[in-house]
Amino acid sequence: MIRPSNSLLARAPVVLRRSFSTGIPRRNDHLPTTNSPIITKLDFFNSVTGNDTQIPTYRLLDGVGKPLDGAQLPEIDEAFAHRLYSNMQLLPTLDNVLYNVQRQGKISFYMTAHGEEATIVGSAAALDMQDEVLGQYREMGVLLWRGFTLDSVMAQCFGNEEDTSGKGRQMPVHFGSPEHHFHTISSPLATQIPQAAGVAYALRRSPTRRSKNIAACFFGEGAASEGDFHAGLMLASTIPSPALFIARNNGFAISTPSTEQYNGDGIASRGPGYGIDTLRVDGNDVLAVISAIREARKRCLEQGRAVLVEAMTYRVGHHSTSDDSFAYRARSEVEDRKRIDNPITRFRLFMESRGWWNNDAETELKARLKADVMKAFKRAETMKRAELGELFTDVYGGQEPWNIKEQRQELSRLVKKYGTIWEPWQKELSKFRNNGQDLMK
Amino acid sequence: MNILKPTSSARLIASRCITLPLSVAQRRTNSTAVEPPPAGGHLPSVATSEHLRTRREAALRTPGIKWADEDDTSPPRTIVGGRETRKMNTYQAIRDAMSIALAKDENAVVFGEDVAFGGVFRCTMGLAEEFGKERVFNTPLTEQGIAGFGIGLALMGHTAIAEIQFADYIYPAFDQLVNEAAKIRYRSGGSYNVGGLTVRTPTMSVGHGGLYHSQSPEGFFMGATGLKVVIPRSPIQAKGLLLSSIRDPNPVIFMEPKILYRSAVEQVPIDDFELPLGQAEVLTSGNDLTVLTWGTPVYHCETAIHMLNSPSPPLETVVPKALRQAKVELIDLRSILPWDIETVVQSVSRTGRLVIVHEAGMTAGAGAEISAEIQKRCFLKLNAPVKRVTGWDTPVALQFEKFHIPDAIRILDAMVETLTY
Repeated sequence: MIRPSNSLLARAPVVLRRSFSTGIPRRNDHLPTTNSPIITKLDFFNSVTGNDTQIPTYRLLDGVGKPLDGAQLPEIDEAFAHRLYSNMQLLPTLDNVLYNVQRQGKISFYMTAHGEEATIVGSAAALDMQDEVLGQYREMGVLLWRGFTLDSVMAQCFGNEEDTSGKGRQMPVHFGSPEHHFHTISSPLATQIPQAAGVAYALRRSPTRRSKNIAACFFGEGAASEGDFHAGLMLASTIPSPALFIARNNGFAISTPSTEQYNGDGIASRGPGYGIDTLRVDGNDVLAVISAIREARKRCLEQGRAVLVEAMTYRVGHHSTSDDSFAYRARSEVEDRKRIDNPITRFRLFMESRGWWNNDAETELKARLKADVMKAFKRAETMKRAELGELFTDVYGGQEPWNIKEQRQELSRLVKKYGTIWEPWQKELSKFRNNGQDLMK
Repeated sequence: MNILKPTSSARLIASRCITLPLSVAQRRTNSTAVEPPPAGGHLPSVATSEHLRTRREAALRTPGIKWADEDDTSPPRTIVGGRETRKMNTYQAIRDAMSIALAKDENAVVFGEDVAFGGVFRCTMGLAEEFGKERVFNTPLTEQGIAGFGIGLALMGHTAIAEIQFADYIYPAFDQLVNEAAKIRYRSGGSYNVGGLTVRTPTMSVGHGGLYHSQSPEGFFMGATGLKVVIPRSPIQAKGLLLSSIRDPNPVIFMEPKILYRSAVEQVPIDDFELPLGQAEVLTSGNDLTVLTWGTPVYHCETAIHMLNSPSPPLETVVPKALRQAKVELIDLRSILPWDIETVVQSVSRTGRLVIVHEAGMTAGAGAEISAEIQKRCFLKLNAPVKRVTGWDTPVALQFEKFHIPDAIRILDAMVETLTY
């Protein structure tokens, strides 16, 4: 493709100008494609801060929940603090049960969020309930904050007939709920990032949601190495769209430490390159996360452009139930992190210092959460899957193509013929609603 | 990606329009008379094709046409009187379709690389001026981004009409299209969908496109269940099929044969109309042989059928006299996914012989899928093996193109072989 040369662009009629450019003032001593000043000193650079220091990390509470000097805490009352804390505690409660349930073979897969509770719950708390959320897979806490029920969580992980996220089609932890403005999770990493730019642009164009809602997009520091990260941030910046990108930098992408993921200053250093307002926050400090995301959200709406927040945290749990992280990091390192920098403990100590929390409340909360989770688990465990015929629905909207219709008929024929005499199918059919009768008719 | 566009016709336009005042460029939109021929030259058969509807009455009676401005509840109007047509080439018809889509649907947007000034093939000429830069805009040069952005818009129920500048450059978006767009409805249990997404992209050879301005990637998408893949052959088809694609409740990849942008000219109804997806069209009826194709090769097939029926003197020796009365059924498949098996099976059951023609390479091309299904369903009816005339299993080599594409002589040879098997 021959692209018009810059000199042509400069002389071109108005149609050639960038759709959303406000026009760049030009002076004679600038090159036509940049406002960069001319210098004669040969001066390479490799830092966004300009003085060789790293981008600072915004924090409000120290490791034992005491406000730092000069910290301006976000306005929260006791009830809100309780809600934050119980949501933060709910995550490990659910994680422990479902992790063990996977170990017993009752569900096929699971991913915990240990260590990232403050990042996820704090972000959820700072967003508007109607903001569109596009996640990676470790953001169940956002759904829970918005009222997604424990039964719905269990239904998805067990893939039972109540699974509204995906009718049992996707692996566990791939949640989704339009009612809660949470887009269905998919496994391919970073694909949600350019999608978030499109979602945000649609919000900007919708009269009922313009200036009210943003698209909030979560991803890990590993996913940020995908080309879709580059595409997404660039799009939301050049096609101004209120998208808030929240990078969970937890130090690992499965076994790969972040030192092998990038050579720059984390993910935050990339934001300015795209012309995006950027902040790095202590992701284990829930109050700092709330302040950061509230302000980032405000900027998104005011500027109608992308904002990037990098939350620094630590993945305390294994990557997933298919991973033993002690194969690539020391158990002691993880134990240290859990003890020294625990986001839940930090906030609990803060609440205690305010007189908002005590041991009795802690015991009561933990017992209640455990009981709620176990009740939902037991209910889900005995439920059947959707009808077998759902294997073939929802591939297309509108009229069903002939090939899918024919293939349903073919499975129907085979199930009728072998469903009772081929043991692997016989056992499996009993797990579906109506025991697969919908296909055996 | 390093892309040079050797399409000198498009380069000519691009450089010309940059210096032209907008009004002049706009006036050019609806005119075919002043445009130079494409650098590759018109395909001889396109200029004279019987399958192009150059009269108003014929255009208004296009088979399967559904007027989208009529109330569904009222009885269908059979009288076409009162409707107007205008002479358009393919890019003008595509522009017309997008203009209608934008005018009728406030949630529709058009975007891609260089679409704001009219597009490198002029398909979006004047749309930015007509509908505003918030609705017709350039994106940065990122195909995966364009697809992902379109998916995001469609997730919110908006109508996203995205352009990938050449089908050769759709592969960076393959993940977004195959893993995301195609699977979103299914994986979300029907609670989300991206039915509002249409990805337009120029395809097939252009005379001098070389490796990366000639490709026909429809076969790669044929296995991406959840997507629809559509390829028109002419201006009327392009407009009607594109409007259907934009309004279809599924993500559609709409591949436009780029050599036909200027060379195929028809009288196109100016009203809003649709042509059905998933349905092939029988262009000529016959009982001796079925020739199935789509896009540019439709015209090569038409030429080859003429050559079979009345070979020029040099070709008389290669076409046995007995074959010259053969009645060949020519079918334009139009939709690659899902494809119209019923029409093809019905035809082959009658003719007993099938030749499939496409520009993409043979191995695992769309023709492989079709011939396997036809072999299964028409086994007892077949009088000859299903023959495929395709590009070779090589990349599209620049100086070798005339020997790469399935041109009329290769199609003629395949028809003779199949008829004499």
